[in-house]
Amino acid sequence: MPRGLIATAVLVPLLLGAQAAHGQKSTEQFIPLGQSPGLSATATDIAAISAVDADNRTITLPTAGGRIVKVTERTRIWLDRSKLGQPNVSGAFEDLRVGRQVEVLYEDETRRQTAEWIKVVPQGGE
Amino acid sequence: MAATGRGKQRLGFRTVGRLGLSSLCLMVIAACELHRPYPPDREADLVAKGRDIFFNETFEGNGRTCGTCHRAEDNFAISPAFIATLPPDDPLFVAETNPDLAENFENPLLMREFGLIVENLDGFGDLENTFTLRGVPHTLALRASIDSAQGPRTGWSGDGAPGDGSLKAFATGAVIQHFPKTINRVPGVDFRLPTEEELIALEAFQLSLGRQEDLALPLPLTGIVAARGQEIFLDNTLGKCNACHFNAGANGDPAIFGPDAGNLNFDTGVEALPDQPADLTDELVPPDDGFGTPGDGTFNTPPVVEAADTGPFFHNNSVETIEGAVAFYNGDAFNNSPAGQLLVAATGSGINLDGTQVVAVAAFLRVINALENIRGARQLLTQSLSDKRDAAKDKLTLVLAEIDDAISVLAGGGLHPQAVERLGEARRFTKKARRRFFFRRHPTEAALGELKKARAELVAAPES
Repeated sequence: MPRGLIATAVLVPLLLGAQAAHGQKSTEQFIPLGQSPGLSATATDIAAISAVDADNRTITLPTAGGRIVKVTERTRIWLDRSKLGQPNVSGAFEDLRVGRQVEVLYEDETRRQTAEWIKVVPQGGE
Repeated sequence: MAATGRGKQRLGFRTVGRLGLSSLCLMVIAACELHRPYPPDREADLVAKGRDIFFNETFEGNGRTCGTCHRAEDNFAISPAFIATLPPDDPLFVAETNPDLAENFENPLLMREFGLIVENLDGFGDLENTFTLRGVPHTLALRASIDSAQGPRTGWSGDGAPGDGSLKAFATGAVIQHFPKTINRVPGVDFRLPTEEELIALEAFQLSLGRQEDLALPLPLTGIVAARGQEIFLDNTLGKCNACHFNAGANGDPAIFGPDAGNLNFDTGVEALPDQPADLTDELVPPDDGFGTPGDGTFNTPPVVEAADTGPFFHNNSVETIEGAVAFYNGDAFNNSPAGQLLVAATGSGINLDGTQVVAVAAFLRVINALENIRGARQLLTQSLSDKRDAAKDKLTLVLAEIDDAISVLAGGGLHPQAVERLGEARRFTKKARRRFFFRRHPTEAALGELKKARAELVAAPES
């Protein structure tokens, strides 16, 4: 079997199915806001929420003159309770409130529109 | 003849005098060794620091270190056979000794029987039911095996690290998963997170382990069966192994997958294997969905140079022998899998090797593994010559482990009895060197010579 034929037959479906190696997110839950290795403050935004639009499921951050961040069903939200000495747990859109400090990682780092995950510091956990 | 009292005294003085002179000489030699300046090599310092962290740092957790599961003397992995040698208070067994970790942290039965470790790859929301059980992958040859066009691939499914998914970030996830004092996993309470400096050192150390580059196949192997195994391995119409394990490494063949494909993920159907050992127990063994959350069923490609002495094989330790691992690709589980079907579409058929061909490919894998053991042993022996005694002793212990592995993989396949003889001699000289306080050079060089002869029995290639 010539290599070229194998290349065509194998490479095309493989590339169609290719996805980014985006790292195991499950342990990410326990990393406090701002301390994610290789991500925090470079690939993420860290700021206090300036507005929440529940109807459109977006939050606004004051970064870049007011960035609107889309929160989808895929977005994982974690409550960072590490400063309270409590385990970090999964949260919901309702936990994203104006004034709360968040860290947002985006699905697309360049466009920074849709959140892949959000860490939010709950009341008293600052 | 018995010595008189005075004679005894004289003999005693003479002996003391000789001993004193010898001791003086030895002290001078030792002083020379002690004061030899280390090269101002920052990378070497970083690797040394990383080694220290890897084996000694518990990150204020449950007592485990990276080296608890990635044992230097077990090829930076851990097998059931090795686990059986550990004392009951070894930190590997924290689930048996720490009441806070008794539930939903490890499965001691499956750990001891099959070397399986609990991983919460799909989240920590339902610890009782949502987890996977995986073997411990070795950390050898990482420099040549984790890069891919989509980014670094770490761990069995290529997504083993939080943060940016890099090898550097990997340790952070490992500490959270495996090191906590309780399953609350609160940073600063149940463990501390590694610092940036520690992560950099750990990465440098891990990248320094094992091969730093891939082989260039074909090798001029001297053994008939292993040489045939190499042909089958490289044959894209027969073994088809080289397409994904290019040059017996972990990367895709650039001619097929492109020049920068690097490491690739595939669903090879391992999860579909019937009668998997862990499934034969009454324990809960949830299916492992591989890469991502939820997973897509794919796992990354491990290098096969290191395979023969790092079984059991595959992410779930489901196959014990290297022959069984090769034979897996003949079966329905692989040939009906997405990867198997891709191969059928590309080449017109799946993989269908006969028994003799399976054994031949395994013989090839055994021989290249023994060659890698010999390379590693020689490197360590050479380094030990300029080490202080304790450091040299540690290295010589690892040399013995490498030689034992080489003997085991060759003898286990009935391969190269002459090389096994030479390796036995190398082992004897290495033990001699390890026992000595001084004058290690002679037995060390003798061991090096025997290893060189053993290598020459396996391959006709000149040394690089």
